[in-house]
Amino acid sequence: MLKNIQEWTLVFTIIGFITIVGNWIGYNIMPTQAIPGMLLLILMSIIGLALGEILPFKIPAIVYISIIAIVASIPGVPGSDYVVKWTSEVNLLALTTPILAYAGVAIGRSWADFAKLGWRSLIVGTLVLFGTYLGSAVIAEIILRVQGVI
Amino acid sequence: MKLWKDWRLHAVVLGIVVVAELIGSHQFSIGPGVILLLPMLYAIIIGLVLYFTPLLKEKQSKSAETLVFLSVSLLMAKFGVNIGPSIGTILEVGPALIFQELGHLATLLIALPIAVLLGLKREAVGMTHSIGREPNVALIMDKFGLNSPEGRGVMSIYIFGTIFGAVFLGLIPGFLATVLPLHPLSFAMASGVGSGSMMAAASGSLVSIYPEFETDIIALAGASNLISVATGLYVSIFIALPLTEKMYAFFIKFRGKKGKVGNE
Repeated sequence: MLKNIQEWTLVFTIIGFITIVGNWIGYNIMPTQAIPGMLLLILMSIIGLALGEILPFKIPAIVYISIIAIVASIPGVPGSDYVVKWTSEVNLLALTTPILAYAGVAIGRSWADFAKLGWRSLIVGTLVLFGTYLGSAVIAEIILRVQGVI
Repeated sequence: MKLWKDWRLHAVVLGIVVVAELIGSHQFSIGPGVILLLPMLYAIIIGLVLYFTPLLKEKQSKSAETLVFLSVSLLMAKFGVNIGPSIGTILEVGPALIFQELGHLATLLIALPIAVLLGLKREAVGMTHSIGREPNVALIMDKFGLNSPEGRGVMSIYIFGTIFGAVFLGLIPGFLATVLPLHPLSFAMASGVGSGSMMAAASGSLVSIYPEFETDIIALAGASNLISVATGLYVSIFIALPLTEKMYAFFIKFRGKKGKVGNE
């Protein structure tokens, strides 16, 4: 467990550093401004991952991480102002770029499998993603309009 | 494991991020729609290309897989801290948030008939019952086995989603948002398909199009994704898979009558 926490901390420090550099270049946010928010995100992730290992439930760690982050940022919860203010200095897109860079390297290995898929899988796969996205958007739109929210 | 020690990988990713962010975002129109190119799209493509150069080896690719999982944790935390302040909005749009999960069934309506039309048989059941992420793969494996046609089907969509999911979901919101008269909040909820990187790509490009809705978009995409992750498997077991079986039986009979391809 302790070894895991140590490993996660080192890994998150590296990812955090890369994110902050991207955050600076792409979104003009000075690293000194972004560091407190980045540290908070790292801390919440480590607690969530640790809970995922300790607790006996079969719930993915990302659910714990989400719950911790939600609770910590609800208005009225002590410190939530700082949580929201600091983390807003870490741009969403700046965080996404390194993840997809790692993903690009990771999928390189699946490329051979992909070549075997054949054209029918490409068509059906495109429709599966398209259908899911569009279906959800249309249902959400209908209910939001019925409710009069938009 | 010692993932942090893979300096070669981290240095390459830092390089990719710097280059991608320096290029910045660009957009161009195709017909009535807009295609938005974001740094994250260059990042995934540069990463893929570099894998085939001597710069990276298979070891880096293996480390990268775990690193995607870990870095998605940070993303979940980022989405979470946007949900807290918007909790009022989330509760207000709660019904839409829950029912749009059923929108995932639309993949059946659109993809299943086409799959059958293309001549696929039982593979089509595995391919179209869901977006084919890890929980869905596990379900199909459990029910039909790894070497069944259904298993091959779900694996092909899993591989497709792994490779193209983020790229695809990074591109279509820009296009659909300019073509369809739907509200950004509806698209935000649709972004939470149940995969971290796909959600990040979809909501990221949505934020670039509607910066004025940034907080709400991130909060709703995050909430919707959380619901998808938590309920996705059960929706598959109790609704999507039985429905897929029924529709498959219907379409395959239809195809049989037309006499194009023989029945099972």
